[in-house]
Amino acid sequence: MPFSAYLDGVRKDCRELVAELGRGFDYVSVLATDVRETTYRADRRMSAVQDGEGECGFVIKMHDGRAFYEYSCDDISGDKKELAAKITAAVATDTALGERRISTAPVKDEPMVRDFVRENDFDDYNDEQLLGVCRDISSELIGKSDKVLNAIAMVRPYSVSKLFVTKNRELSQYYGWANGYAIVIYNDGKLVQARRIEGAGTISEVISKVKEGLDKVIDLAAHLTKAQPIKPGVYDVITDSSITGLIAHEAFGHGVEMDQFVKDRALAKHCVGQYVASPITNMHDGAAATHSVASYFFDDDGVLAHDTQIIKDGVLVAGLSDLASATQLGTEPTGNGRRDSYKRKAYSRMTNTFFTPGTDKLEDMIASVKHGYMLFETNNGMEDPKNWQIQCTAEYGIEIVDGKLTENYVSPVVMSGSVPELLKSISMISDGFEVHGSGFCGKGYKEWVRVSDGGPNLKVRVKLG
Amino acid sequence: MKDLKTILENTENLSDYRITEKNTSSYELFFVHRALETVRSTDTTSTRVTVYVDHDGRRGDSSFSVYRSMSEDDIKKKIAQAHDRALLVGNQPYGLPEGGELDEKLPTDLDGYDPATLGSMIADAVYAADDIPGGSINALEIFIYRDTVSVRNSRGVDKKQTTHRVMIEAIPTFTDEVQSVELYEDYRFTRFNAEKLTAEIAEKMREVRDRAAAVKPEGGMTVDVMLRPHEISELVRDLAYDLSYSAAYMHSNLHKAGDDLQTGDGDKLNVTMKAVIEGSERSAFFDEDGTTLTDTVIIKDGVVSGMFGSHRFGQYLGIEKPSGSLSCVSVGAGTLKEGEAGNGAYIDIVSMSGLQLDLYNDYIGGEIRLAYLHDGEKVTPVTGISMSAKLSDVLGSMRLSEKRDVSGSYEGPVRLLMKGVSVL
Repeated sequence: MPFSAYLDGVRKDCRELVAELGRGFDYVSVLATDVRETTYRADRRMSAVQDGEGECGFVIKMHDGRAFYEYSCDDISGDKKELAAKITAAVATDTALGERRISTAPVKDEPMVRDFVRENDFDDYNDEQLLGVCRDISSELIGKSDKVLNAIAMVRPYSVSKLFVTKNRELSQYYGWANGYAIVIYNDGKLVQARRIEGAGTISEVISKVKEGLDKVIDLAAHLTKAQPIKPGVYDVITDSSITGLIAHEAFGHGVEMDQFVKDRALAKHCVGQYVASPITNMHDGAAATHSVASYFFDDDGVLAHDTQIIKDGVLVAGLSDLASATQLGTEPTGNGRRDSYKRKAYSRMTNTFFTPGTDKLEDMIASVKHGYMLFETNNGMEDPKNWQIQCTAEYGIEIVDGKLTENYVSPVVMSGSVPELLKSISMISDGFEVHGSGFCGKGYKEWVRVSDGGPNLKVRVKLG
Repeated sequence: MKDLKTILENTENLSDYRITEKNTSSYELFFVHRALETVRSTDTTSTRVTVYVDHDGRRGDSSFSVYRSMSEDDIKKKIAQAHDRALLVGNQPYGLPEGGELDEKLPTDLDGYDPATLGSMIADAVYAADDIPGGSINALEIFIYRDTVSVRNSRGVDKKQTTHRVMIEAIPTFTDEVQSVELYEDYRFTRFNAEKLTAEIAEKMREVRDRAAAVKPEGGMTVDVMLRPHEISELVRDLAYDLSYSAAYMHSNLHKAGDDLQTGDGDKLNVTMKAVIEGSERSAFFDEDGTTLTDTVIIKDGVVSGMFGSHRFGQYLGIEKPSGSLSCVSVGAGTLKEGEAGNGAYIDIVSMSGLQLDLYNDYIGGEIRLAYLHDGEKVTPVTGISMSAKLSDVLGSMRLSEKRDVSGSYEGPVRLLMKGVSVL
């Protein structure tokens, strides 16, 4: 069984600590994590095989009928009475602050004992094989053109074991994901970088995806050397699936994270049941909504994974919540309580976020544009859930003239404007669908978690600059 | 269990090793409006080991994490695995920093406070600024950290530094009968000054009130645009990253020593990467290799004059004394006097979604959440606009303020005036 042997060995400690802290708190949970990542990397001059960012530790969450308390540590072995006293003292406040605690309904602790496992092929590969794959990819890219100054290839498998214990609940999960990267540094009078980043549930699939795209990386690099800045303006735009996902994520995903509802930080709180997008628009989020990088079985609050429909036929129907926000709002948590690591707080976070496919053909969508751009590859984005402004940056765009893609590339392309105007401008949705499982998402400027996003191609009208 | 250092020294066939440990203890408060939602405390240690193996005229290395859960046997297995991985890796040889003992605390006054008491005092200072009719602070997060970082290696390095720091995330909000708007702000400091903190939040409260009154200007315009320290820091850091030893070794750098970054008559950039800036949480005496950090001038009068980075990549480039991985950046004063920009129309940016910079494509731009449009006669708060310009044009003609201040890990001019920026 691939689940962490260490976590299997601490189940009794977790139960004992829950019982001991339960003497003073109404609700106690222990989340134990054992996350491992390995990085295999090669370029023209260097190579590396090493453990990446992993974690192994505990976070204890308590509720006293009013507020929440959390304590993060590396070890819970030893005398539980002593540890419980240490934890209680560590989260104490001064008297004045204690009087300013929120007051919530009790936290539900529904009974459940389950062990979840998603198999992968990580044990089928050894270090030498995976480093060899990276060296081969790097060499192949370098060999494709003398304009390639360097080519970086990486494979990063990571596996997650988590154990969640309360008085009535004991859940364990094991799952894995792998990302692959091919990056070229290319000079043809202008120095550029072009990249291909892939994700999959198995190493074999991610290697295959990266290898399939090597010619496209070189072709993209060659075009980027000729790319020009875009003339700022409002254009008809066709999005590739990654830009569709970026819009879903930044335009509306952050806006329906319900911890923002509690803080009155999201305009969406007042828009449930209202049209917020074109009537042909449907949007989902959930660890159980598709299989990608954020497809866990239960969240960091011990809530089982959901598939939440956020927008149905253009109408906002639901948000995403963690345990603390749902408890304050009097709603059911949706399995979106996620932590950067056991060292950090759980917030309401997105998982796999996407628009669902429509019925249009991509070629018809492009043909419908007199003058505009097709945008490709997410660079970054920034949310503004209170004021519904949006900024999404694409790596590049290709000009569309008289319904045809040209050879004119623009880079970078910053898309900005009002979220409702953008979403209500969606006029065509393709029948294609792809979710990209290689992203990280912060809340504000911190609390990084792995997310995926995507969907079909969209036709929108938006400001580019 | 034996000490990690002892286990490594008793392992055969290792050429070198490095142990990096970071212990973080924190006390954290999370407020919803004015009510306390969550109290957190942490006491965690991250331990990272790197082993180095010389073979076939090359050097291999591999790193792994050591967890409290590991037994001595587990650690020995991880060392053996890392040794085997290092044998697969054959990089250009390099040495580790040698010798040097240190046990120092970065400048602070936070260590004189009990964390729970300090947390309460910080909350009081923040909410003291919440006194504007229609204004509120809808969320507040307070993080009080104590980090102790140590680096030991097989070449005699044994260094430890302790940092006390506070990070605050506050959400000033303004609500009237038409709408509710907010600004996102974070503050980082190593000395607590309640009055200064209240004054800074109060300024943001006034600015968020202006955001509620802000309008979207009609049509596009070409106008001078003023940046504030957060965005100036982003711009300078992107220029600096291009001048790192690793970027040069990887052939991903655009510039090299002697390159003139500013062909124009604007104020010339003078940029120094620094180890310690008073008040900055990123100040450090040494980096993750244990290299003693050395302040390094990287841009002098607009011309690239140096590079900076880690011991390893410095050696690869033949640098006699690598600077170490410096995190703080200092920019020299310019000639722009306070009020001088008011002679013509300009936009003074308060808040952006995020400054977008692309050195490869010579681009600077981004969405503006709040700015003040000065037209020479009146000042109008504006929102819903974006800017874009050629970065090389901006660098050539920009003006930097005479006045300098510290913001996070940046010290330098408090304003940067970009000429002739396209705003839509």
